[in-house]
Amino acid sequence: MTTRKKTRRADACASVVKSSSFASSAMDTPAVVQQTCADAGHTSPAISLTGISKHFAGAGGEPLEVLKDINLTIAEHTIVGLLGASGSGKSTLLNIISGIVKPDRGRVCICGAASEEFNDWRAVSYMFQEDRLLPWRTAIRNVEFGLEAGSMPKAERTRRTHEALQLVDLNSFEDAFPYQLSGGMRSRVALARSLVTEPRILLMDEPFSRLDAQTRVLMHQELLRIHQLKPMTIVFVTHDVEEAVVLADQVAVMSPRPGTIREVVDIALARPRDPTLPEVTSYIQRLRALI
Amino acid sequence: MTEVVDDRLLLRPAPRRLRLDLIVHRLVLVAVIVGIWWLFSLSVPHYILPGPTRVWEALKLIAGNGDLWINLGITLWRVAVGFVVATVVGLPFGIVLGANKRAGEFFEPVIPIMNTVSSAIWAIFAIIWFGISNATTIFVVFMTAMPLIITNVWQGTRTVNADFIELAQVLRMPDWKVMTKIYLPTILPYFFSGARLAFGFGWRVSLVAETIGSSSGVGYRLRQAADLIQTDQVFAWTLTLVIMMATIEMGILKPLENHLFRWKKEVEAQ
Repeated sequence: MTTRKKTRRADACASVVKSSSFASSAMDTPAVVQQTCADAGHTSPAISLTGISKHFAGAGGEPLEVLKDINLTIAEHTIVGLLGASGSGKSTLLNIISGIVKPDRGRVCICGAASEEFNDWRAVSYMFQEDRLLPWRTAIRNVEFGLEAGSMPKAERTRRTHEALQLVDLNSFEDAFPYQLSGGMRSRVALARSLVTEPRILLMDEPFSRLDAQTRVLMHQELLRIHQLKPMTIVFVTHDVEEAVVLADQVAVMSPRPGTIREVVDIALARPRDPTLPEVTSYIQRLRALI
Repeated sequence: MTEVVDDRLLLRPAPRRLRLDLIVHRLVLVAVIVGIWWLFSLSVPHYILPGPTRVWEALKLIAGNGDLWINLGITLWRVAVGFVVATVVGLPFGIVLGANKRAGEFFEPVIPIMNTVSSAIWAIFAIIWFGISNATTIFVVFMTAMPLIITNVWQGTRTVNADFIELAQVLRMPDWKVMTKIYLPTILPYFFSGARLAFGFGWRVSLVAETIGSSSGVGYRLRQAADLIQTDQVFAWTLTLVIMMATIEMGILKPLENHLFRWKKEVEAQ
């Protein structure tokens, strides 16, 4: 139970940009999938954030400070939870990591490359709070959608799509339309769509919050099982303390208005973590007190 | 597979369209209508209301001498051209008006105005501009069908889900793929219902246009038969049109719509 606050120097990621292993895209060379940021003995963290600040225009024209001086380093292949009450800017932070929102100040480094220069966004997957399945596509075609941004050959796309659907145990429902699937199955299809690109980084914005408690537990097991099979860095946003403790290696607790990281807590527990066990509940209580 | 056990698959059986009792109902309906028609025709001179047998003879006559097929073909061709041009113009226009808020606001009053102008007025304008020619009928079909297609596509564009656009954005999907993979499938049901409406209207107004501005086609032959008091032929032409429209509607458009939009949750189920 150690509390850490890591800060990397701003020029740290610029120095490794040129030699970064991201030069070849996973989309172009599907046979050799890069699963690591390590390069010639130098290991970069999967994600590092330095001095991130963000303002939005508020209701009365007053700028609203959403994030203030966020510093966070996320090591490769770890699972990190961003935990906080609503208004703590955790979703905004996730969007900044994903590159769809630009920070006002600060630096985002993905795998040792500055966010602006990073060119392999398809190795970064994003899973939304809603499943966002296209209603006019069958399950398998929805998974395939994850690969359609690039120019991958059809045969390779089909192979990968089947593989991803197999991974989430849905291959027998590939021809079902979204309206024919239950909430849990839809969530699995959305997960498969995020995994089909074989991402190194998976970002999840409260992905299971819309599911009932039982299905949510199943999806947690599913996610941890897949993480064992496919080593990747997972960053997820949640307001559910229990979810954070069950899934994460590290939990970054955020405080609201303006959003800052209050503390980063290591969850040093073996998996699977049963939320009724005393050592797990003690973590839950500790995090609850921090929020 | 144990984790899937909890999930329910809500697959519904495909609805059977061709049920036997439905066919029987339809046949009885047709028999009743023909029966009433026949009864009335007994007490009225044939040039006012010809009986079913007389109309059948007239139908055989115009079908036998080729009159029917030639004029039906001409009219159908004109409707098709007007409709295709209306689609080619209306579809991109509708998308632009729906996607661009300022353009939409600026052009908003134009559509209701176009819809209020009667097809007969378009036909008169068409005669002034194009004289007695194919273009007259095509123009009238075009002017009637285009606002309908624009309105529907416009409406469809406004229903595009911003969440799907954001999904494409995080996948770093290029704009043209967002157009074809998200905008187009969203708009398609709206376009389809607009196109169906436009085709039906187009077909009806084409006859109006042909009666006053053409020297061939079904509309022209209808007026000619009426002028010559060949009421049985007027009925024969009318019957042909009804049968043809019903065939296009039930034989092509409806099955096509069912196939294209099979992903839609059926309203009656649950």
